Amino acid sequence: MPSHSAQSIEIYTIEFPDPYKISYHNDKFITLPANASFQLPITENIQTLSNKDVQKGSDPYGILYVPDLTSDGCKKEEEQYVANNVTRRANLPEHIEYALVAVAPWYSAECMNEYFEAARDAPVKAFLVYQPGAAAGMPPPVSDSSWLMGDGGTWKAQNTFPTYAIVPPTGALIMKGLSEYSGNITDLPYNETLVDMFADTDYVRLWATIGTESGSQLPSLWVFLVIVLGLLILAIVGTSSFMHLMQRRRRNDLQRRVINGEVDLEALGVKRLTVPQEYLDKLPLYVYTSSMEDPEKALPTEPPQAHSNTPTGRRLSAPDLPQPVSSTALSQPTCAICLDDFVANESRVRELPCRHIFHPDCIDTFLLSNSSLCPMCKTSVLPSGYCPTKITNNMVRRERMITRMNRNAADRAHTAHPAPPQTADSQAPLSPRRTSSGFGSIGSRIGGAFNGSRRVFSAPDRTSNRPSEIEMGSNQPAAALSPVPETTPPNQQTTTTDPTNPTAAHPHRREWARQRALALLGTHHVAPADEEESCEPRWKRGLRKIFPGFR
Amino acid sequence: MSTGAKKRIMKEYAECAADTPAGMKIIFDEQNMTKWEVLLDGPDQSIYAGGHFKLEITFPNEYPFKPPVVSFKTKIYHPNVSNDDKGSMCLGLLRPDEWKPPNKVVSVLRLIQTLLIEPDIDDSIEPSIANEYKENRKEFDKNAKDWVKRYAK
Repeated sequence: MPSHSAQSIEIYTIEFPDPYKISYHNDKFITLPANASFQLPITENIQTLSNKDVQKGSDPYGILYVPDLTSDGCKKEEEQYVANNVTRRANLPEHIEYALVAVAPWYSAECMNEYFEAARDAPVKAFLVYQPGAAAGMPPPVSDSSWLMGDGGTWKAQNTFPTYAIVPPTGALIMKGLSEYSGNITDLPYNETLVDMFADTDYVRLWATIGTESGSQLPSLWVFLVIVLGLLILAIVGTSSFMHLMQRRRRNDLQRRVINGEVDLEALGVKRLTVPQEYLDKLPLYVYTSSMEDPEKALPTEPPQAHSNTPTGRRLSAPDLPQPVSSTALSQPTCAICLDDFVANESRVRELPCRHIFHPDCIDTFLLSNSSLCPMCKTSVLPSGYCPTKITNNMVRRERMITRMNRNAADRAHTAHPAPPQTADSQAPLSPRRTSSGFGSIGSRIGGAFNGSRRVFSAPDRTSNRPSEIEMGSNQPAAALSPVPETTPPNQQTTTTDPTNPTAAHPHRREWARQRALALLGTHHVAPADEEESCEPRWKRGLRKIFPGFR
Repeated sequence: MSTGAKKRIMKEYAECAADTPAGMKIIFDEQNMTKWEVLLDGPDQSIYAGGHFKLEITFPNEYPFKPPVVSFKTKIYHPNVSNDDKGSMCLGLLRPDEWKPPNKVVSVLRLIQTLLIEPDIDDSIEPSIANEYKENRKEFDKNAKDWVKRYAK
């Protein structure tokens, strides 16, 4: 479609006072209401023959009139199509250059030339033509032979206005309107309403506005839509990059904290880690000797001594646990994984940093493929500050979530439950242990019990500078409440009081009450990070990619 | 399944056989040692008293690094046992992320007994039953006893 082609033509009736009868300059026309005047919207079958001098953004408009012919022959022929009382130049105020839109029937090239010549002398903004007797429907394009003027098409260049073709019935309709609205106000149709409103000398004429592509409503709507869309995209991109930036900061922050040893990813339940072979190889491996130490001696005395154990000492005082049972398990005669006893001077054992010993065959597979935590006490085998692979957004999210949950739980526990008096560890008495290290219910008691000693055995700097809310993940006050772990070497089993034993009614009930309280503290089972990711719906994963901080 | 795991299961069975918790009977098939059948009497102090429940304990290939799977073969009206043909139980140390290798089947069996005496409402697998237990204890007791009569005699 050529640019500036007409999309619509709006014809309506205007009213304005005779400029010679009023003392002020009037540049306002009053549009008469549709029910008492001529109105004709033309929205289809408009053929643009020439778009000369159409400015972008300014649609041609003006008072409709029929240009005057000069030759008598043409005038005679015109009578068939044009009533003799249509609006002519003479019917408009003299000497005032109102914008005009000419309309004329195209019945012969010769007469058309006369129309154009007359129009060129007037301030015509556009010319509407129609071919009387032509077929209905879209008028033929300008290349059609019916538009030939015998001048090789120079009329288009000579004219100072655009030319549009309309269908003959519309043209006839306009001519009829022009004949009705060219005289005195009293001659008008519906004049009974109009006469009261306006002075007799007022002009009432037809007005045409040609809507061209550039100025029509549709394109502006599109522009608006594009702008809105652009803004939206900009907002999304802005938010996304902001969140990416935030997330990167959080990732770096978490990585820094992990390296500083403030956060233990696996103990927190953020990520399941495994131990690389190279770290595993660094763990001491030696032959078990029961004679190295008299287990009875190191017995019920408190654990802190373990601190002083030098690595070179290699004594088998391994789990110096502050529980009664730990004392019996002290020498660790059994591998907790295969439940086989160690054979003195024969079994090779691997010692973890927490001093627990296992068969290398048993513990190696576990650490290589399952976890980085000691199966007994959940102390990390990895050195402090070991940062696994890459910190992912998912890990950041979980770490934040867990930390927040811990804090909430601690807050509530503080208000609900004054801290038990026994240890400094009980500052944050009820931490949701399910989230903390994957211990829960009954199992948590073991975790609790062993974790109570965790500080002692893990690398000192790792625990000592932990912020309290992280630390509480490892300090299980439960240890004090139920100091009875279930895991005992098989040969000791008969002597232990099993907390789940139904016969031990009293401690058992208290235990359950405690667990329920813990569960109420908003502990939701937290799956390992990587597992969680895979069961999320795809759209949510996509959304997370765009807005990484999104919860 | 590795020989180590088999050895461990054997060992655990020997232990269990020597000291079976009261009211339990373990049926062990050496051909298929990863599947234990446990006959459990409803503990006397529980509403399940008088019922005889059949359980199946299945050891995964990764045992003891992964927890054993417990399922009730006898239907039981209990908040922590799924009310379907599996009758599965998944809480506490039976959760994959809470299980640790030093845990033993005995403790699992004891956990089950304990849960029969007092369900863990906050870690329930059947929320409607848990709700009933909390809100309408009488109705729960009635239903549970009813089921014992119907399925566990």
